[in-house]
Amino acid sequence: MGNKRKHIETQVIEPAKKEESASERPKRTLFGWKDKTEEKETDPVPPHQGSFRNKEKVLVTCSRRINFRYRHLMLNLVSLLPHCKKDSKVESSSTKAATLNELVELKNCSSALFFECRKHKDLYLWMAKCPSGPSVKFLVNAVHTMEELKLTGNHLKGSRPLLTFSANFDKDVHWKLMKEMIIQIFGTPKDHRKAKPFYDHVFVFSIVDDHIWFRNYQTSVPHNETDKIARGGLDKMTLVEVGPRFCLNPIKIFGGSFGGPTLYENPFFVSPNQIRALQKKKKAGKFAKKVKAKTRRKMHEQSNPLEPDEFADMWKE
Amino acid sequence: MGVNNEELTLSDEELMTDDEMDDLDKEVSESGSELEDEDMKLPEPSKNAIFNRDGIADKLQDISWPENVGWIHKLVIDFDQEQEVDVNDDLTRELAFYTQALEGTRQAYAELESMGIPFLRPPDYYAEMVKSDTHMEKVKGRLLAEKRSIEEAEERRKARESKKLAKEVQLKKQKERNAQKKTAIETVKNWRKQRKQSGFAGGDKDGELDMPFEDGKVFERSNKKRPGVSPGDRSGGKGRQPWKGKNGPEKKKSKRESRDSKFGFGGRKGLKKQNTADSTDGFKRFNKGSATGNNKRKR
Repeated sequence: MGNKRKHIETQVIEPAKKEESASERPKRTLFGWKDKTEEKETDPVPPHQGSFRNKEKVLVTCSRRINFRYRHLMLNLVSLLPHCKKDSKVESSSTKAATLNELVELKNCSSALFFECRKHKDLYLWMAKCPSGPSVKFLVNAVHTMEELKLTGNHLKGSRPLLTFSANFDKDVHWKLMKEMIIQIFGTPKDHRKAKPFYDHVFVFSIVDDHIWFRNYQTSVPHNETDKIARGGLDKMTLVEVGPRFCLNPIKIFGGSFGGPTLYENPFFVSPNQIRALQKKKKAGKFAKKVKAKTRRKMHEQSNPLEPDEFADMWKE
Repeated sequence: MGVNNEELTLSDEELMTDDEMDDLDKEVSESGSELEDEDMKLPEPSKNAIFNRDGIADKLQDISWPENVGWIHKLVIDFDQEQEVDVNDDLTRELAFYTQALEGTRQAYAELESMGIPFLRPPDYYAEMVKSDTHMEKVKGRLLAEKRSIEEAEERRKARESKKLAKEVQLKKQKERNAQKKTAIETVKNWRKQRKQSGFAGGDKDGELDMPFEDGKVFERSNKKRPGVSPGDRSGGKGRQPWKGKNGPEKKKSKRESRDSKFGFGGRKGLKKQNTADSTDGFKRFNKGSATGNNKRKR
């Protein structure tokens, strides 16, 4: 198990290193294929759509001692985002912000997803725009990974997702910010070298009960041609869920990346630690109540003693 | 710079959570509900929560892409839900997500179609998928197993129903048969009556119907079992003549009868008292009474 993981990590790290070297020495012909992609990515004027080019890269990491379930969720997201770079685990300490910022810079990324697992139970997701941008901290719950057999769909690896948002993302400014960040992080850049040219899955981001719910569906349409849907095909379209599923509860928005001034705080948020503490306290209260009742009874008995029974020794003789 | 800020915020957070804890305690002890919910919410928004709208707007401006970015870069579809969705109702919630996805994809596909870009995967385009083939095999296996189990249940249900039906049919048939028998007897009775009424004197003697000796079976032994007589009994049932008992004849008789039917009476004992291979091999009846007796003695 451990070996396997290590293997994956090294695999992921390797191309990044190559890229670095490539950027330093672009003329070198040994990595010819690398050079080409590098050129493609740094191409200042794409053939169409004016001057804009999306060069988003996302760093995906997790904290140490993460749960297997949450790790699988992270790996699922890695497989969904062709423009992401996975990195080895980061210690979840007070200095993690600096480490993460450094890592992001090292990897040439512009945003990051950091899965922080605490107490083997609570998963926090940091979504950050990296050099200077804001970062959002979420509590993740209702996690279902792609491995679950109930989720029967499948789609191309690296095809660009369609992003659908519920209309209440435009209700308030902090939701707008989150929407923008989600668009940038979860949307695969057009003409990315790992992206496939077809559109066969759709992401759902929906705000229900002040939580952002995520779903991923595969679309299946009856069709013969690649650029046209047969008549009535849109009505016959069905969706099959691919997974993963999760639900994000925003906690805070910070001004900087992984820190900085707090711009927003969820006024309704209760941390899972507090919830657990309360539950424990409630359970502990049971015994305390019993003891209290006993002492009360004793006090009561002392304060109003029984009158001496006048017939007590009537039959003694 | 990030470090300092982070630490600052962290310490702030901790302080605040402590304060909040106390507040929360009071609140919960007052209300005491909603504790079971895993995903708990404060009943009312806390007052000291930070919400810097201008700062957020600024940040949004900083990070957002230029206005004139083509839709093809974003692939974003907004979907307006008409009514609020209840979170705890799983089915409606999932349905809402599904409809959002479906409507979104329809719009997106229409847009893509109008752009004239190939966007649907041709059937002969094979590439790596998100889920591996082995995993999809598993999924398929599970689906098949589910289907099979459903079919089996269906079959069982059908069998049960048909059994019930068969029982009913049989009951009906039995009834019919009984009715037929009854009517037959009735008709015979009627016929006899009529004969009597029509003045057929000595009809019984003359009638060819009830003469049992006519078919010559009188001399054969009747096949009927003699009641209460064991099959080997050759005493002709003399052993159990009821008038032999002198005191309490009725009671004794009934008791004797039941015992006889249980243990047998008369006939040759030899065959019954012989050992067989089973009885010699088995320890079943060996030393039964003495064991219990020993136990008793020990006590």
